[in-house]
Amino acid sequence: MKATLEMINRMQADGVIGKYAIGGAVGATFYLEPLATADVDIFVLLPMAPGGSLLSVAPIYEYLTARGCRVEGERIVVGDWPVQFLPPHDALEQEALAQAVETEVEGIRTWVLSAEHLIAIALETGRAKDYARIVHFLEQDAVDADRLNRVLMRHGLVPKWQQFERKYLEE
Amino acid sequence: MDRDKERRKRLASLPFSEKLKILEKLRERSRAIAASGLRKRAIRQQKRNG
Repeated sequence: MKATLEMINRMQADGVIGKYAIGGAVGATFYLEPLATADVDIFVLLPMAPGGSLLSVAPIYEYLTARGCRVEGERIVVGDWPVQFLPPHDALEQEALAQAVETEVEGIRTWVLSAEHLIAIALETGRAKDYARIVHFLEQDAVDADRLNRVLMRHGLVPKWQQFERKYLEE
Repeated sequence: MDRDKERRKRLASLPFSEKLKILEKLRERSRAIAASGLRKRAIRQQKRNG
């Protein structure tokens, strides 16, 4: 993971990407016990292209493949890990990136989404594995309930949360 | 059950770098199992057993 983060930081320093933060199972591992996963989700801001044209992850792929990284479907193998770069697609993901938590991995500076944003994004995504991850957070008391409520309210996710509670927490 | 909860709590309290090393080992193990065909054999066996 160290090599992966070093390469991503270099890409950031070279101006190919803006702010980034680790999400998904690897991000959740910052707060919980290690959760098995095959890849790393990196939420990433892309610098605006000249003329304000549509943002694309193509410059990331060009940069990384020029440095020996290999494309595997929607992912690109950086260091030892397949990585999926995800530009924020809505206000929730933009806020999640803006409020990401700074940390270090083996002396390498990096950022991780907050527990509350990881939960809100998992709720929005809504696959079985996302719901299971939310249950992990709640079981381990690894979330600030007030902060989570505010995130859910800001992004219109309260009805979905109530559905989730009825289905997974009240049975 | 309590022991499992304790173990998970202990793992959760490790530094992020340590947890990522565990994650890497879990991933290597999954890949080794997939490469050996054990998983496919287990699924076939399960199907045979109904």
